[in-house]
Amino acid sequence: MNNTWVKYGAYFILIVLIQGLVVNNFQFSMYINPMIYPVMILMLPFELNILITMLVAFVLGISVDAFSNTFGLNASAALVIGYLRPTVLNIIKPRDGYDPVLLPSIHDMGKLWFLTYAAVLLFIHHLWFFIIEVLRFDQIGQILLKTIISLTFSLFLIILFQYIFYKPSKK
Amino acid sequence: MRNLIQFLKKFRTFLVFFVLQVFVLTLFFNSKDYHRSKMTNTSSSIIGWFVEKKHNIDKHFSLSEANERLMDHNAALLSQQPNSFYVLQGDTYYVNDTLKKEQFKYIPATVINSSSTRRDNYFTLNKGAAQGIEIGMGVIADDGVIGIVTDVSNHYAIVMTILTEKSNINVKLLKNNEYWFLTWDGKDNAYAQIDAVKRDISIEIGDHVVTRGGGTQFPEGIAVGTIAEVLSKDGEQTIGLNIKLDVNYNAVYHVYVVKNLMRNEQLELEQGYFGDE
Repeated sequence: MNNTWVKYGAYFILIVLIQGLVVNNFQFSMYINPMIYPVMILMLPFELNILITMLVAFVLGISVDAFSNTFGLNASAALVIGYLRPTVLNIIKPRDGYDPVLLPSIHDMGKLWFLTYAAVLLFIHHLWFFIIEVLRFDQIGQILLKTIISLTFSLFLIILFQYIFYKPSKK
Repeated sequence: MRNLIQFLKKFRTFLVFFVLQVFVLTLFFNSKDYHRSKMTNTSSSIIGWFVEKKHNIDKHFSLSEANERLMDHNAALLSQQPNSFYVLQGDTYYVNDTLKKEQFKYIPATVINSSSTRRDNYFTLNKGAAQGIEIGMGVIADDGVIGIVTDVSNHYAIVMTILTEKSNINVKLLKNNEYWFLTWDGKDNAYAQIDAVKRDISIEIGDHVVTRGGGTQFPEGIAVGTIAEVLSKDGEQTIGLNIKLDVNYNAVYHVYVVKNLMRNEQLELEQGYFGDE
C-alpha cells in the first residue's frame, strides 16, 4: 500500500515537472497547446474513490497552474475529468468488468480501448479548457479547432509517456 | 430534515465538485483583473527556482540571436553619444542640467519563463522586489512595449503582457497624437486591436502607433506597432484597427523594467480626480 503511494507521488512530481518545464515551451502556434498532465488522472486505479480522484485532479491542476501562470484554469479542467472519469469508465466497460490488478494503461487494456478512453476524456478536458479560456461565443470555431489540434498532440505525448515510463502490470 | 440529509448524501460528489469548481473559476476570473490576482504563480520562490534552472539550460539556445539584437541596440545608442558627433561650433558646453530632471530609470531583466500562445500570456522575469521592481511598473524590450508588472516576489516578477484580455495600454498615433486603448482579441499574437476609432481621423496603413505616456507606466513614444488593417463595417459610427506589433512575443529575451521616479507624485495628485487607478 505504502509503496503504491510513493510510486504515485513520484509520478505526480515527474508529470508536473515535465508539463511545467518542457511541454509548456511547445509554443509553435496559437492552436497547438499540448497537455501531458491529464495522464496522471487517466492512470489512477480503476476502483479509486471519486472524491480522491477529484482531490488528486485539483492538486495536480493547481500545481500545473503555478508553473504556467494560468491561475486555476488547468485545475478547473482537471476537476472536470476527475469528476467524469468513473462515468466514462463505466460506459466503456468490457463485458466482464475491470480486473483490479490491471491499470487503465495502453499495455494492460490494449490500444483501441485506451485510445477511446483517453480521447474521450481529453476531448472533454481540452474543450472545457479552451471554452473557459476564451469565453466568447463568436469564436466557437476557433475553440473547436484549438481543441482538436491540441488534442492530437496531447494524445501523442501521453502515449509516448506511457511507453517510456510504464510497464505492463504483472498478472 | 432527513430528506435533506438523504439528498446531500446522494449529491455529495457533485457538491464537492461544484464547490471546488467555483473556487478555481473564481481564482481564474479574478486573475484577469490585475489588482486581484493572488494565486501561486511562477514568482513564488520554489517554482521560480525550478523555472530559473530550466532557463539556465535553454538560454544557450537563443544566445546568438539575443547577442545580435543587443549589438544592434548598442550601435544605435553609440551613434547618439556626444563623442560620435563632429563638433561644428567650438563653444558648446555642458551644464549639469537644471532644466531637465531625470524621470525614468530602466532596470534590465531577463525573461526566464513565458507564454505567447494562450488567451492570457505572462512573462516571468529574473528580478524582483530586491532589485527595486514594484507592481504597476511598465516593461519594454528593445523593439517595443511588453506589458505591466502585476506581481513581484523578492527575486522574481510577473509581467502581464499586451497579449492578455484586460491589458488596456494607452497608445497614440505618432503623427497626430490621437489616443486610444490597445486591446487583444486572442486570435493572433502578432496583431493587437484598437476599437472605437472615429471615422474622421486620417489613418493610413503603416502609420506608427506608440505609447501615450500619460499613465505612470511608460515614457511617451515607446514603439508599439504599425497599423496593418482598417476594419470598418457599414453603418457603424466607428472603425477598428489591426495593429501589427513590433515585438515578436515568441522571442523576447532581454527586457527593461521602467521605474518612474515621479510615479507617486503623479498618483497622489490624480487620486482625487481619477478614482483608484
